[in-house]
Amino acid sequence: MTLRTVLRNEWRLLRADRALALVLVVFALLFAYALANGLAWVDFQEETLAAAREGNAERVETLEAELQRIADGGQPSSPFRDPRSPSVLGGASGAQTAVLDPGPLTALAVGQSDLLPYYYDVSIQTNESSFLQNGEIENPLNLLVGRFDLAFVVVYLLPLLILALSFNVLSGEREQGTLALTLSQPVSARGVVTAKLAFRAILVMGLALGVSLLGVLFSGGFGSPGRVALWCAAVAAYALFWFTLAAWVNGLGRSSAWNATVLVGAWLLLVVVLPAGVNITAGLLHPLPSRVEMITAQREASNEAVNQRSELLARYLEDHPELAGGVAAEEANRAALAWAATDAVNRRLEEVTSVHGERLAAQQALVRRYRFLSPALLTQEALLDAAGTGDARFARFQSQVREFAERWRTFFVPAILAGEQMTADVLPALPSFRFVDEQMREVRARAAIPLAALGGLLVLVGAGAVARLRRVTGP
Amino acid sequence: MIRHIVRKEFTDLLRDGRFRWCAAIVGVLLLVSLGSGLVETRRAEAAHTAARETARDHWESQGEKNPHSAAHYGIYAFKPRLPLSFLDQGVDPYTGTSVWLEAHRQNDFLMRPAQDATAGQRLGALTAAQVLQYLVPLLIILLAFGALAGEREQGTLRQLLATGISRRDLALGKALGVAGALALLLIPAAIVGSAAITLGSPGPAATPFARGTVLAAGYLAYFAVFVALSLAVSAWVRSARTALVALLGVWVLNGLVAPRVAVDLSKWLHPTPSAVEFARTMEREVRSGVPGIERPDRGETTARLLAEHGAETVDDLPVNVIGVYLQESEEFANQIFDRNYGDLWNRFERQGVVHEALSVAAPLLAVRTLSMGLAGTDVEQHRHFATAAEQYRRDLMRRMNGDLAENSRTGETYIATEDTWAEVPPFQYDAPSLGWVLQNRTLSLGMLGLWLVGAFLVAGSLVRRAEVA
Repeated sequence: MTLRTVLRNEWRLLRADRALALVLVVFALLFAYALANGLAWVDFQEETLAAAREGNAERVETLEAELQRIADGGQPSSPFRDPRSPSVLGGASGAQTAVLDPGPLTALAVGQSDLLPYYYDVSIQTNESSFLQNGEIENPLNLLVGRFDLAFVVVYLLPLLILALSFNVLSGEREQGTLALTLSQPVSARGVVTAKLAFRAILVMGLALGVSLLGVLFSGGFGSPGRVALWCAAVAAYALFWFTLAAWVNGLGRSSAWNATVLVGAWLLLVVVLPAGVNITAGLLHPLPSRVEMITAQREASNEAVNQRSELLARYLEDHPELAGGVAAEEANRAALAWAATDAVNRRLEEVTSVHGERLAAQQALVRRYRFLSPALLTQEALLDAAGTGDARFARFQSQVREFAERWRTFFVPAILAGEQMTADVLPALPSFRFVDEQMREVRARAAIPLAALGGLLVLVGAGAVARLRRVTGP
Repeated sequence: MIRHIVRKEFTDLLRDGRFRWCAAIVGVLLLVSLGSGLVETRRAEAAHTAARETARDHWESQGEKNPHSAAHYGIYAFKPRLPLSFLDQGVDPYTGTSVWLEAHRQNDFLMRPAQDATAGQRLGALTAAQVLQYLVPLLIILLAFGALAGEREQGTLRQLLATGISRRDLALGKALGVAGALALLLIPAAIVGSAAITLGSPGPAATPFARGTVLAAGYLAYFAVFVALSLAVSAWVRSARTALVALLGVWVLNGLVAPRVAVDLSKWLHPTPSAVEFARTMEREVRSGVPGIERPDRGETTARLLAEHGAETVDDLPVNVIGVYLQESEEFANQIFDRNYGDLWNRFERQGVVHEALSVAAPLLAVRTLSMGLAGTDVEQHRHFATAAEQYRRDLMRRMNGDLAENSRTGETYIATEDTWAEVPPFQYDAPSLGWVLQNRTLSLGMLGLWLVGAFLVAGSLVRRAEVA
């Protein structure tokens, strides 16, 4: 009798076991459902972005037509919205939409993409308060519950499938009295358990990875094979963690019922209780700084700014002497005065935001430390990072939008201060936004931390399992 | 006889190390989540109260200016935390906390606390409500899965029945035993909870005790459903192990699968527009009106005013026509906002009904809706606040435009005195009454009642037919 015999025997048993086959079918359906959900979400995002881009193109066309009409001797449609004025052309009516295309594997993990904004209209009015805006319109109740995507199935439900398949790989044999018979053959208990679990792991991981790859195929994510590989590695490491845990518990030599209770307890603890406990601890020890003070600061800054507009302009020009030459020396134009006030408000907001941002970053770093307590949290992080729907990619998008807004201002502000008039010729020269996606190197470096921690856990539990199983020599 | 059963079951459970451990964990989590919820709520409410006062102060001390400038300056409203929100933060992290009330526009609520949290924190916030909704049922399952199946496996069921006790009394005794053990956990939690309510958080009055009592009753009904279900399964299946597996399956379906399926189903049945689409529709409608809601025509308004006052030119009118124009344009825009936001809110509410209706498969959905409703943290009460804030904005704009129209003449440069701002009453929000909440939640109440009755009927019938060996 060899391990191949064990494998063949397992296959026959599985085929005969109706309940097990049913569980597998149910899971295949859950996977398919999750995938369909993710794909629908990607479609929605893509349609939305298409609409946003179309809106942007329409805005440019309208401006171009009006500028052309004025150049041909026509009058602006409204004196407040004369597109020749740089504060109008660079303002809301000429805003450019900066978009973040869905992450390459969004269909697999919705992640933060239903919560965080994935497009902004950038204009000279864009400032820190623009980043307070909400993301997509979504029922808060739905945001609270979260989506049924593959990441959810993998993190929460896959362990249950694994435990259902493997809680009694050894104890079952003992209870049926077949263990003595098996071990009388030239195989070790370790070998038998390994073979049986390997067989199950191939089934489960084949299912999980197969559906994932199918999802990648449908959503055209093979453009980033590195991310696909990371995703698969995270799924495999997490699944193997649960298989090894089952092996260890089986090695303790207790009854199947005991194994089931302990393994379900472990699932509850690691997947449900610990992440929640981590959040409670984080909330108590490191409360998120409230953002309401930002509103107060913004108000105070704009009150001040309105009261001292002309002084502000003088100060602004002192700070930016390179711009002073352009300002009509005697009489500062209204737009220049308004800009100086806007700039003062922006500065104050930036101060408040940077203080808040530091506190927030420190708090988040503390919260993220706790993730090492739960393989579920580690896996979720790796999965979202691989999918491009985690916090990091959104933060990157936001910081690029911030830079873009700065470029946009640099383009228009000198013209505002100089009281220049613009023509349709500037339109092609306007700064434009293109999101520079993360390099695979960065994603790998980031995902390496949770994956390494998961790997470490795997080795630890695996070593425990091997040590226990070595001691099993008979029933 | 039934007394002995209760006492035996109760003592058994207390002696069981597994129960002691699980109960200790759940108990600690419950108390910690109550405490942290209270701390968090008080902290948030203190910050909001301070911000609210500053906002009012800014409004009052904005100096002499034209009322329309003041209208553009506007005021910020901050969402209050209701006294019971420490029990269940509901959708609060996902709705904004503050809204700017300004001229011409109905703004969205900004600053969703969840946007500042990490993805990991979304995986599981732990509030007292979540302990009650997820962990207590699990504890009940662990307590009761072996109640009948275990006795049967050990062969003691036959002995018990031989004493002449009816199966119904036996099951009732077991249920009461489990309930007694649970009470050891829940009574201290209830005392801490009521103490917290008495200490109170400074939010607007919302009859916290009445709400708390109904909340407690709702949760008790939910727990009773799980006790009955556990006994039913325990009576029905052969081995204790199968009972445990089946009940855990129910728990996963109830707590993990059904809520998320409800999300997708609700979105599929009642899709919401994307933010881009919503903004574009609103912009288009504000620009050109829709059939039945026409943009006011300034020429017509002027003609009407001239006719009313028997004047020749606008300069002869006793009112400033700009103020009248502005108010008419506000009223026009308000109808467009009502149309669009109203439709969106209605869609959210219909989505909520899908969640509630799915409680036919998962009682969690009913008790969760009820719990958020009573804690004042559901979508409907967010809408209630948003509507109140919008009404205040409209009233503010009417006052500003009225001041402009009545106290100045057309073409005049009018500057209102500083007293004008203080005369505007501050924004007072009254949380909805218990009756209002319960009226919104009739479906959940009905579903919970149905589950309670159904679970007991099924348990009764399965216990009657339970095999002895």
